[in-house]
Amino acid sequence: MSSDLRTVPGLENARDQQADAPAGRRTPAAPLTEDSKLAVEIRGLMDAGNMDDARDRFGDLVAMHQRRATRIAYQYLRDAAEADEAVQDAFVKVFSHLTSYREAWPFEVWFTRILINGCLDRRKARMRRDRWFVPAETMAMDEAVLGAASTAGPDPERRLLARERRARIAQAIDRLDGRQRTVFTLCHYGDYTPREVSMMTGLNESTVRVHLFRAARKLRGLLGGQP
Amino acid sequence: MFRAHHLHDDRLFECYVAERSGETPDPHAAEHLADCVDCSRRYVELSRFMDTLRAEGQAEADAVFTTDRLCAQQQAIDRRIEHVGRPARVISFPGASTARTIASKTARVAPRWVAAAAAAGIFVGAALGTSYEWTRGLSPRSFTRTRPIGSTTARNSSPRTTRPVEAVPTGGSSPADVAADEAFLSDLEVALDRPRTEELRAYDALTPHFKEIKDVR
Repeated sequence: MSSDLRTVPGLENARDQQADAPAGRRTPAAPLTEDSKLAVEIRGLMDAGNMDDARDRFGDLVAMHQRRATRIAYQYLRDAAEADEAVQDAFVKVFSHLTSYREAWPFEVWFTRILINGCLDRRKARMRRDRWFVPAETMAMDEAVLGAASTAGPDPERRLLARERRARIAQAIDRLDGRQRTVFTLCHYGDYTPREVSMMTGLNESTVRVHLFRAARKLRGLLGGQP
Repeated sequence: MFRAHHLHDDRLFECYVAERSGETPDPHAAEHLADCVDCSRRYVELSRFMDTLRAEGQAEADAVFTTDRLCAQQQAIDRRIEHVGRPARVISFPGASTARTIASKTARVAPRWVAAAAAAGIFVGAALGTSYEWTRGLSPRSFTRTRPIGSTTARNSSPRTTRPVEAVPTGGSSPADVAADEAFLSDLEVALDRPRTEELRAYDALTPHFKEIKDVR
C-alpha cells in the first residue's frame, strides 16, 4: 500500500543514505540539536539505572515536541481522541526504546518516524473497522470543541465560514495519495524541511519535493485555487 | 506570448519551498521573480494559498488541543512511563486450588474409563454367551427340551406359581415331537394372554379375544 511508510526504504536504508550523504546533508558529525542532547542524557541515565531522573528529564523532551506531534497526528487522523492516543503511544514507545537511540539520527526525526508509523497503523485499523461497522457520528467531540471555540469569537458568521473552510481543506487533504499526504503533512503542518522529511520517510529528497509539489497542485485544483 | 518564458509551476513551488526551508533559491528563478510581474503575482498567490492552508490546519489542531489538554496528555504519558523499566510484579500462582482442581478432574476421568470397561465387558459377555448358545444349538445331543408338568392346569394357575419344569433329553426332531412342542407353546401363549387377576376372569370369559376375532375373519 502506497500510504505505508514501511513500503519505502526502511530505517537502515535511510541511515545508509545519510552515511553516504554529500557535504550539504546532515551527517553524524553535525552538532547535536538540543533535543538530541537531551535524549542522549536520558539514555545515559537509563543505562545507569537512574530511571526516576530519566523520567523527569523525559518530561522536558515531551514538552518540546508535544505541540508539533499533536498537530501532525491530528492532521493524519482527524480525530482528537485518536490523535491524543497516538501521541501518547509514540512517546511511551520512545521512552521504552530510548536505550537503542543513536545520535546519528536527530531525535526529532526518530520520534516523528515512530509517530507517523503509529498514525498509519491507526488509519489502517480505522479503514478495516469502517469496512465492517457503521461509523458513528463523525468526530462529535471535535465538533463540539471547535464549536465552543468558534462561539468564543466576536463574529459567529466568520467563525462558521472558517469551520466550513477547514472541513473543505481536510476533505481535500484526505483525497491525496498516501505518500503525498504524508509528505505534505510533515512539511506543512510539521514544519519540516524536505531534507528532514526525506530522512523520516526514507524517500529520496528529490522524490519528496516532487510529492510535495504534486500535493500542492492537487490541493489547488480541489480547492479551486483558494482554501 | 511571453508565458513560455515564465517560470513553470514546479519551479515556482521550488522557490516557495526554498524560502520556507531557509535554503538558497535557484538564482535564475529568483532573478526572474524579481523582474517579472506576472510570475511575482503567481508566486504571491501560491504563497498565500499555502500559508493559508498551514494556518488553518494549525489553528484547527490548536483549537482542539488546548493547553489544558496538552497538560493532561503529558500527565497521562508520565503515568504510562512510570512502569517502564521496572520488573513486572509476579502474582503468586494459586497452588492449593489448582491441585484440587486437577484432582477433581482426575476423579472425573476415572468413571469414564470404568463405564467404558463395563460396557466393553457387557458386550464381550453377550457375544460369548450368544456364540456359546449357538454352538450348543448346533450339537444334536446337547439339545434339551423343557416340558411343564401338568400343562393343562397352566390356564388356571398363575405363571409365577407354575411348577418347575424338568429337562427331558430327546433323541431328535420327529413329527410327534414337533406337534408336542407346538401344543406346549400354544398352551404357553394362551396362559400368558389370559388375565392373571382372579376378579377379572369373569369379564375375560365374556369378552371376545383378538385371536378369536382373527380366526373368525
